[in-house]
Amino acid sequence: MAKAMKKSTKSAKPAAGKTKKVKIDPITMDVIENALKNARYEMDATLFRTSVSPSIREQHDEFPIIADPEGRMLVGQFGSWLGDLKNHFPDSIDEGDVIFTNDPYMCGGTISHLNDWLIQMPIHYKGRLVGWTSMFGHQNDTGGPVPSSLPTDATTIFGEALRIPPFKLYEGGILNDVALNIILANVRQPEMNRADLMALVAACRTGAQRIRDLCERFGTDVYLAGTQALMQRTYNAMKSLISQVIPEEPQDFEDYVDDDGRGFGPYKVKVTIWRKGEKAYFDYTGTDPQSEGPINYYLNEHLLKMFIGVYLIMTHDPWILFNDGFYPLVDIHIPEGTMLKPHHPAALSCRTHLLGRQFDILGGALCKKAPQFLTGAGWGSSPHMIYSGYDAEGKWFNAFEIGFGGIPARPFADGMDGHAMWPLFTNQPAELMETYYPMRVEAYTSVIDSGGAGYHRGGNGLLKVYHFLAEGEVSIHDDRWLTYQWGVNGGSKAMRGKKWLKRADGSIEYVASKCDHVKVYPGDELFYQTWGAGGYGDPLTRETARVQKDVRFRLVSPQKAHDEYGVVIDPKTFVVDEEATKKLRAEIASKRGPAVPFDMGPPLAEILKNCKAETGLEPPKPPVFKKVAKMPIYKSKPSMSKLVLKKRVA
Amino acid sequence: MGYRLGIDVGGTFTDLLLFHEETGRIWRAKTPSTPADQSIGVLEGINQVCERAGIHKDAIDSIIHGTTVGTNAVLEGKGGRVGLVTTIGFEQILHLARGQTPGPLAGWMIMMKPDPRASLEDTVEAQERMDARGHVVRKLDEADIRAKIEGLVKKGIESLTISLINSFANPAHEYQIRDIAKQVAPKLPVTCSYDVLPQFREYERAETAVLNSYIRPNVSRYLHNLESKLKGAKLKAMLNVLRSDGGLMSVHAAEDKPVNLLMSGPSGGVTGALFIANRAGFPNMMTFDMGGTSTDVSLNQGEASIGRETNIATFASQNTVLPIKVASVDVRTIGAGGGSIAHVPALTKALRIGPMSAGADPGPACYGKGGTAPTVTDANVVLGHLPPQLLGGKMKLDVEKAKAAVKTIGDAIGLEVHAAAEGIINIVNESMCGALRLVSVERGHDPRDFALVAFGGAGPLHGNALGAIMGSWPVIVPPAPGVLCALGDVSSEYRNEFTRTFTSTVDKTKPEDVVKAIKELGKKASDWLTSEGITGKAQHIRYEADVRYYRQGYELPIQVNPDKLLKGFGPLVNEFHNTHQRLYQFKMDVEVEIVNLRAIGIGKTKQIKLAKKKKKGAPDPKGAVTGSHKVYFSGAWVETKIYDRAKLSPGHVVKGPAIVLEEDSTTLIHPRHKGVVDEYSNILIYPAGK
Repeated sequence: MAKAMKKSTKSAKPAAGKTKKVKIDPITMDVIENALKNARYEMDATLFRTSVSPSIREQHDEFPIIADPEGRMLVGQFGSWLGDLKNHFPDSIDEGDVIFTNDPYMCGGTISHLNDWLIQMPIHYKGRLVGWTSMFGHQNDTGGPVPSSLPTDATTIFGEALRIPPFKLYEGGILNDVALNIILANVRQPEMNRADLMALVAACRTGAQRIRDLCERFGTDVYLAGTQALMQRTYNAMKSLISQVIPEEPQDFEDYVDDDGRGFGPYKVKVTIWRKGEKAYFDYTGTDPQSEGPINYYLNEHLLKMFIGVYLIMTHDPWILFNDGFYPLVDIHIPEGTMLKPHHPAALSCRTHLLGRQFDILGGALCKKAPQFLTGAGWGSSPHMIYSGYDAEGKWFNAFEIGFGGIPARPFADGMDGHAMWPLFTNQPAELMETYYPMRVEAYTSVIDSGGAGYHRGGNGLLKVYHFLAEGEVSIHDDRWLTYQWGVNGGSKAMRGKKWLKRADGSIEYVASKCDHVKVYPGDELFYQTWGAGGYGDPLTRETARVQKDVRFRLVSPQKAHDEYGVVIDPKTFVVDEEATKKLRAEIASKRGPAVPFDMGPPLAEILKNCKAETGLEPPKPPVFKKVAKMPIYKSKPSMSKLVLKKRVA
Repeated sequence: MGYRLGIDVGGTFTDLLLFHEETGRIWRAKTPSTPADQSIGVLEGINQVCERAGIHKDAIDSIIHGTTVGTNAVLEGKGGRVGLVTTIGFEQILHLARGQTPGPLAGWMIMMKPDPRASLEDTVEAQERMDARGHVVRKLDEADIRAKIEGLVKKGIESLTISLINSFANPAHEYQIRDIAKQVAPKLPVTCSYDVLPQFREYERAETAVLNSYIRPNVSRYLHNLESKLKGAKLKAMLNVLRSDGGLMSVHAAEDKPVNLLMSGPSGGVTGALFIANRAGFPNMMTFDMGGTSTDVSLNQGEASIGRETNIATFASQNTVLPIKVASVDVRTIGAGGGSIAHVPALTKALRIGPMSAGADPGPACYGKGGTAPTVTDANVVLGHLPPQLLGGKMKLDVEKAKAAVKTIGDAIGLEVHAAAEGIINIVNESMCGALRLVSVERGHDPRDFALVAFGGAGPLHGNALGAIMGSWPVIVPPAPGVLCALGDVSSEYRNEFTRTFTSTVDKTKPEDVVKAIKELGKKASDWLTSEGITGKAQHIRYEADVRYYRQGYELPIQVNPDKLLKGFGPLVNEFHNTHQRLYQFKMDVEVEIVNLRAIGIGKTKQIKLAKKKKKGAPDPKGAVTGSHKVYFSGAWVETKIYDRAKLSPGHVVKGPAIVLEEDSTTLIHPRHKGVVDEYSNILIYPAGK
């Protein structure tokens, strides 16, 4: 990893591919770009139509990429660095080989927990390597001590789930079914995993075929030259973008993950950003040391560069096609032994909160000096609900759902209520869950007043009520129950999330943010309420008509309209008293003073002091950081023996 | 047996085609469309075509009409005010939708979400609950919902939708509420989600049902007006409309379920193209219908491929689509056409086409109506694909204005104006190919096994280039693109389908239960046909089961024969495995699940026989040449002959490069290609050696 980093950051120019010098006109380039985009969407379509687990098929927790022969992403939704993985195969990776792994430590953090099953395959055209295609998808379950394989109490990766080192699932087109059998024997719903795995392979094959079509159409040299030109184009665009928007003076930003599931927290994550010449520097010094619990996020530097690039592009110029071409322009420093680069074998499974939080701090730091591009905080977490047990027919079930929250207020608009921060994710229909699992969904609605007030309102969080019909166990993964989603430029912080069980007898129990083995019985109801997102700009300046509409639509209460927006509305007729509103707004403004750039809520000490009273849960204890040793990572010997292979072919 | 009339109302022209069932003769007419009240143009056309045929208007038995009135209401956001009843706990079902934000990462930053078609303010919750098996969990509170509906009516809703959780399994509560609504407001149109889409996934069902209510007032007003104008003009013909799936239905049926008309326009094109391709001997074909702002493509094998999800891009937002789940011709629409604007973003210097469009007003720069933005049409003019003087001299194109517009693109990317124009064409062609690939290769079809039917205002200009990229030959250019849709209208059959969710794995299912259920659906299909006046042997019922591996998210429709099914699921399961293998290159050892059952009722109508024209002696069409003109192909100017299509006859072979002009379309034949005129006056474009 370190070696690859050095190589790519030494010169501030993209590395030239090993291609013949071919002159490429801008039009051919654009045609290739369009064809690449089409191929990537075809990969998604194939996967959705054939996969079985709801997380991939209904929720779209899957990420395709198409890369150049060096492994650099040309097109994709999220992306993963392929460079490291192929180093596991010193012999060679040949036509018909398909590589499979789920181990973050053995692929340099390309994927970041064991649930993500990653497929990667070379693309050959007339015997020549012309690229790579790759896709990963979140498996419902990948073995280990708890259903859905995200144990909150694991202290090492060995306690989380089955580890699959990189190996050739197919070698020369032949399936290694011995290895596959061992893997499937270790998961709870083997047929589901098999189907999803085959669906990933089918999608990658689709992508590979499209690239071969392009080579046939344009000639391999033209195709490859076109891809290099596309990366150069993104490099050029990002060069001018970086020099426009990243200041030379360092800007820092910090935020927290609330707890580690073992009763400790909050954990701090910090970034400092500056520019020197044409290069941008991102330094994570100041981030807390690794946690003993599974909330560490083993962050691949290349993936982080992609996050940074996408963020800059989306805030400033969505027309830029995103690829790996600009990576030499960004330099990353993540200190080893921190939560973002923990020593092997630190536990990783619940990394989703930190993954989200680093987007919040990136947004905060990048736009601190350009507040017009700021958005409120919104990445809260990726709330999980897992319910497993045996249904009335004695059949094992394992429901797994990723919930959503509020979308932040943006410089030009309100945030959406109860939508996904992750790209292209969709929710699970109540009717689907009720058809397949012993439960009813009693409500699915956004939570009134939960979005941060602002000139643009932060999106409301969601409330989903699950009514259980069979005895079973529930696991929860969530965050932002303690710290707040902040508002910006005078916009307010949002309401925090909370979860509680209403037992069949009517009693109420608050449920921790990260927990396993919560016993539930028929008639119990889980109320899962997620966090809203932060507001943007001074709520006292929001047009009264927009406030009135939110009240009419039951998204904001008349009380909140009064207290935070300073708008006086008749709760029955919804008529706005403009005169009273003017007076009230002046009154609030004089009491409050000038709007603050970031509304983070009260100081941490106060939040912790009031924790029990406000949330019903004990406050987490301050994290204890122990010195941890580094265990060597197993170097896999991944190939089938050629001899065995030959015999089997015969 | 008498006369049948097909009417296609387009943006510019209204095309009519009159067909005499006994003799097989046809007559055509073309009049300018009258957008303010389309019936004016229609009546004018009817007068013309009857005059040409020498008949009185009352001799017409039936009129078949493809209409875009429903689609336009959605695209322009001008439908009616809809009230919505949901199950308690789900009032925000449309507001939250599936919670999707666009890609890539952080795509939420640029998402604009339009307000739902039933406002939250006009949404109420019913106190009731069904479970997923159709058992009542909580009885409906009638008094409560009655009061709420009275409130909605007072507010001024024009239409009501009832969409309850798990109604796909049992619609009893929806019907109970419908009956209450009928008591509260007898004239209020009511849509029950079960009647529109009895399938699971509550959001999609609610959205589809609400859309039905949303366009209902517009469609109803339009059809009533047309019907009364026709009656006023002493016409006795029965008015039928073309459904999204290419079938026919009566005005009465259309008023109930206007959501079935959303793709009525494109389905006329597909049905017409199929008619032409089948007769020309190319039942396996893709359609390529390129208009001013969008392009529709589809793949068909002898009959129209029917899809069951239509994504309609909404007026307010390019990146939000409504998933409307009704049967329709399986058409992919992309937002690029002749009017799409080319632009070069500052940072990347990449050439992008669309999604902005110059529309009809001001239109492309070459129209000289004040437009200055460079469009695809301007690029075609700069390259000489479109000669400055179109046939009939009705419209002149301003080459200098086109050049000035395209030059702004050339300057931005450092290319000379002709190279820039060629770039625009190449990129727009690539997006078209992307759409064609989605309907072919993505579904396991090799595009080289399919012909390509090119129509629409710009289809014949781009068809040859697409054929070359996709390897799809011949490229068929039918005569008169507007007539094609009217022909589709006249050649269509009555069609409707009845579906219900079944959701059971075959190991736990008795064949007789499936057969019983599917025969009930067949009875419904038969009753529907009877109500449309189709009886006896003219009725055809076809059966399908949507099948998937247990818990997969998408199904494959497999044809079934109920009588054979009684003997066991073996053949059905095998057919499914094989289809899955063909489409996705793998099959699985997993239980197979039947998700939906469907009966499709088809009412045969008498088919048109197009008269064949005899081939003439010599293949050289020199008599049709009207001039010559320089055209830019792959970096060089080539002297290119211009032909008058009206003077081409069967047997003629037009050598490329060539331009063939007719009243409302222009066909471009590239160098090293040829256009063969067949017995039906189609131009079939092939590579020269083929």
